[in-house]
Amino acid sequence: MPINTTIAWMTARGLFGRRRFLLLLPLPVLLVALAVFARVTGINSGDWAQPVVNGLGFAVLLPVIALIVGTGVLGSEIDDGTIVHILTKPLSRAEIVWAKFLVASGVTALTAAIPLYVVGVLVESVRFGLGLAAAAAIGAVVYSAVFLLLSLLSRRPVLVGLLYVLIWEGLLGNLVSGTRVLSVEQYTLTYADKIAPTEYLTGNVSLTVSIIMSVIITVVCLGYAVLRLRSFTAASETS
Amino acid sequence: MSVIHDIGYRRYQGPRLGRVSVLAALYVHGMRAAFGLGRTFKAKIFPWSVAGIMLVVGVVAAAVKFQTGLELLTYETFPDQMSMLLILFCAVVAPELVSRDLRSGVLPLYFSRPLSRADYPLAKLAAMITSAFAVMAVPMLIMFLTAAFSGDGMGAVWDEVKAFAPGLAYALLFALVYSSIALLVSSFVSRRAVAAGATVAVFLVTAPVVVVLTFATTTTGQQLAQLASPSTLVGGVGQWIFGRPEGMPEELGIGSFGPLYGAVTLGLIALCVSLLLARYRKVAS
Repeated sequence: MPINTTIAWMTARGLFGRRRFLLLLPLPVLLVALAVFARVTGINSGDWAQPVVNGLGFAVLLPVIALIVGTGVLGSEIDDGTIVHILTKPLSRAEIVWAKFLVASGVTALTAAIPLYVVGVLVESVRFGLGLAAAAAIGAVVYSAVFLLLSLLSRRPVLVGLLYVLIWEGLLGNLVSGTRVLSVEQYTLTYADKIAPTEYLTGNVSLTVSIIMSVIITVVCLGYAVLRLRSFTAASETS
Repeated sequence: MSVIHDIGYRRYQGPRLGRVSVLAALYVHGMRAAFGLGRTFKAKIFPWSVAGIMLVVGVVAAAVKFQTGLELLTYETFPDQMSMLLILFCAVVAPELVSRDLRSGVLPLYFSRPLSRADYPLAKLAAMITSAFAVMAVPMLIMFLTAAFSGDGMGAVWDEVKAFAPGLAYALLFALVYSSIALLVSSFVSRRAVAAGATVAVFLVTAPVVVVLTFATTTTGQQLAQLASPSTLVGGVGQWIFGRPEGMPEELGIGSFGPLYGAVTLGLIALCVSLLLARYRKVAS
């Protein structure tokens, strides 16, 4: 499907042109700084790889960045009402959603994959780094689709997204193993584990389930987002 | 030369309520905003769902203790276990209190009233702390009442009070630390959603730092590592007051650094409050 460059360009400018974009920087910097610190002080990789890569990288960095970017690409335009200008242009809704989704997943993938690659190299090898980066990129695509839809479903998508990340993936994912089948974080872990097998990460979901669920979630979310945008009612800011 | 003509409008001659009334009004408004009272159903969903989960946990713990005598949660462990929910609550309420005013640009209107620069943030902070404390204190109070009424004699009640009071103080400490951090972060961000994300990020990001630091250094370093995150910092103070929980290995404890943890906690609260006051010394019109 071709990408509407005008929409994509506007979205990217909307993301980078604001001060809010700086919020994305501290997380990757902290991740790399922690890894460098651990490497310099010579701690055993087995000890720090798990909390840094899994605890900070895949559990916090990737979802939080995807949340800010994914809800921002469409959500900020809904918030300030400029979405109306795009909707009144003779563009199909699918075209709009597709362009915004590509920008969101691209930006998220870059912001998350680069620091994770550096961390992977510091932990073990270039192969591990590439595995982490690839897994983060795939995870970024799925997360972006979910959070893009969320910004069309709720007036407060970031809060709902935080609930999902903290409660569903964070709290329940550790306690109730059944919820892992519906957790993007677990798919990402499985990808990282399968691409570059190490003792640091273990996927709890099988690869087949991960791939199928990732595709289903992405397609369904994007499809529903198009439907929602088709019947979108421009409302003023309430409550 | 322009002249202001008196065109005969009647002046206000009634009593003028002073600064205290302004503060009280702002505080009450803050408390109502925290729980979405007087707003639509949508504004109530988030604060009440978090408060509801805590209440359910408290009631279940109280009921289990009453029925079987098994203590799922003590007054000390309750705030610890609820800290993630408290972070969420603060991330929901703090933007509601301060970011909304930034977004709608009403701060110049507030400060044109008989309200000093410090009053506004302090009233908001008081509302934030009270609401955060309330969501934890109410379930704990239920636990206390159930235990107190099921015990026999005044002696049992007194024992229960002695356990309950420090637990309540511990919950207050959580509320103080989390509220001041959340309000400080939110006071810089005008979009509520982004403010909520930034607040949660502060807590989430510092947690792995603690883990890495515990692996990094000597026993002393490990015992100091928990200073790095607000959640473990308050937990450290809890260990100082209540002693190390059973089953926790020594190197994960705080050793003899209890007073240091207490001092750092107080320092952190003082720092957050003074930064908050400094932030409102000058507001853009």
